[in-house]
Amino acid sequence: MAPHISWFSILFSASDIHHSHPTSAKAVQQIYVWDRFVRLFHWGLLVAVTLAALSGFWLGATWIRLHVVAGLLAASLVLLRLIWGLTGSHHARFSSFVRAPHEVLAHLRELRAGVAPRHIGHNPLGALMVLMLLAVVLSLAITGVMTLGGEFKTPPLATLSYDQGQFAHYVHKLLAWGLGGLIALHVLGALFESLRTKENLPVAMITGRKALRNEDADFPSNHSVRIRPVLTVIAAMVLFSGLAGWAGLPGGSGHPPLPHAPVSPSAFNVDYASECSDCHAAYHPSLLPGSSWQQLMAHLDDHFGEDASLEAQTAQEISDWLVTVSADQVDSKPAHVFRKVSPAHPDAISLTPFWQKTHAAIPKKTFSQPPIYGAFNCAACHADAATGWFFPSNISIPKPPITIHGNTSLVSVPSAIVEE
Amino acid sequence: MKGRLALVRTAVVLTLAFALVTPSVAAAGARSSIIAGFAAKAGKPLSAARGKAFFTGKHTGGKPETPTCLTCHTSNLRGMGKTRAGKAIKPMAVSANPERFTDPKKVAKWFRRNCKTVLGRECTAQEKGDVLTWLATQ
Ligand code: HEC
Ligand code: HEC
Repeated sequence: MAPHISWFSILFSASDIHHSHPTSAKAVQQIYVWDRFVRLFHWGLLVAVTLAALSGFWLGATWIRLHVVAGLLAASLVLLRLIWGLTGSHHARFSSFVRAPHEVLAHLRELRAGVAPRHIGHNPLGALMVLMLLAVVLSLAITGVMTLGGEFKTPPLATLSYDQGQFAHYVHKLLAWGLGGLIALHVLGALFESLRTKENLPVAMITGRKALRNEDADFPSNHSVRIRPVLTVIAAMVLFSGLAGWAGLPGGSGHPPLPHAPVSPSAFNVDYASECSDCHAAYHPSLLPGSSWQQLMAHLDDHFGEDASLEAQTAQEISDWLVTVSADQVDSKPAHVFRKVSPAHPDAISLTPFWQKTHAAIPKKTFSQPPIYGAFNCAACHADAATGWFFPSNISIPKPPITIHGNTSLVSVPSAIVEE
Repeated sequence: MKGRLALVRTAVVLTLAFALVTPSVAAAGARSSIIAGFAAKAGKPLSAARGKAFFTGKHTGGKPETPTCLTCHTSNLRGMGKTRAGKAIKPMAVSANPERFTDPKKVAKWFRRNCKTVLGRECTAQEKGDVLTWLATQ
């Protein structure tokens, strides 16, 4: 009969040594190895990293909020683990399991020779893995915050340039793949060691206990550590990181209204704001380079098949203003990606290579039907289009209106009203 | 006492009525002078009937997808129209939208653009005057 373990005892029992079920024929003495924090940390990190990987690799840019919160959670767990590695119970301390390189090599030789002992705490290779995992998760969080700072001017690293943010983004992706590889190795290693030493290591990470063996006669006692203050700190940090991640992003409730806006819509040139919002919402000037704006403003009488002509002087003034606040002048992500225009249509944002690539997965039909009407209608899907940021968590594709008797219902009436 | 109160009440009502009417009177003035401007350049006296025929009729020479003003403004002149880009256009009928045709620059701009789109040419003063004469009564 398997030792009786209740979830309650996993989380709340505190004694170091446990006996299995008292009625069991041969009572196996158990040692308490992984304290509650270590176990919570281990499985908590698994959840956080899984969520971050799911949102980062598969769910797409619109899940950025979940991604950031999961990443901050993982980072807080790692920071706590570092503190715990200095102050926690015996087997949680780095001093008890981190080995010098020559000891790791010696362990490898023993494995080769088939004489490696079983370890109560981490074995030297496992310890190396722990350190690498901690370092990579922490580096992922740091490069992630750098990416947000550089590409979207999100605090606390909003002073980074777009190029620095983009470099951090690149490293972030490399690290993410690296973490995937490390996790695979870690799982294989734990399975290998479980089979080799005939000890279920994953279960030990749940119960915290391992069966005492004869050779463990003088196992180091795992002194009790008061856990409640620790749990409180974890809860506080998890809550804090979650809230910070949620609210601190552009569009979040705690984010000031775009403190780093390239050009605030309230500072738009008066003529631009009125003349260029007659037929569609006025595009943020940072979405095209100056040369594109000049070209567009010079051909307003044939404006995407429409006559948008203005008096020559007004057109010239708008054109001159656009050049001073164009993508060439702004350090936002849209400004950088849209600087590279389509050679055949330099005045169309929706024909730039970046636009085509990021919107390729959206069906053509979605664009043509109301309330979107076309690729040009950025604000239909990007709630923050007017600000020029296009932050991924502010994207949502509206549903077409319900059709009754062949007529579109009231739902289709656009909220924006033209002055004319 | 009672007579005084009634007097005050009448004064208040009159003031309110005046305050409400003044802007639309001013708007009507601005509109009349725009229409008068077209009338001065038109050959014949302005005609609401001709304006209606022009605004609601089909034309050639412009963009094939916009053969008539009603393509965007719809035949319900007191309701909303819609641009090609999906933005709503406020009603053209003055009774539903008293601010219509009160800004000479705006009137000039949209006649220039939309006549080119629908007819492939600028409209004459006669055509513009006729259309405004008709829409002002709608
Ligand atoms: C008379 C109506 C009208 C006016 C006025 C107008 N536009 Fe447009 N604009 C359009 C239409 C229609 C499209 C293209 C829709 C489509 O792609 O089918 C367009 C497209 C654009 C695009 C390209 C969007 C994309 O898909 O990449 C830009 C940029 C643009 N307009 C800028 C301006 C600027 C700047 C002004 C002010 C000078 C202006 N527009 C005024 C009707 C207008
Ligand atoms: C039909 C809805 C829709 C319209 C219209 C639309 N977009 Fe998007 N856009 C999306 C979606 C969805 C994504 C995210 C794709 C993904 O998951 O990576 C996106 C992504 C983007 C991004 C990248 C965001 C990031 O940092 O990952 C930019 C920039 C962008 N769009 C700009 C524009 C501009 C400019 C326009 C107008 C010319 C526009 N979009 C029109 C739906 C739309």
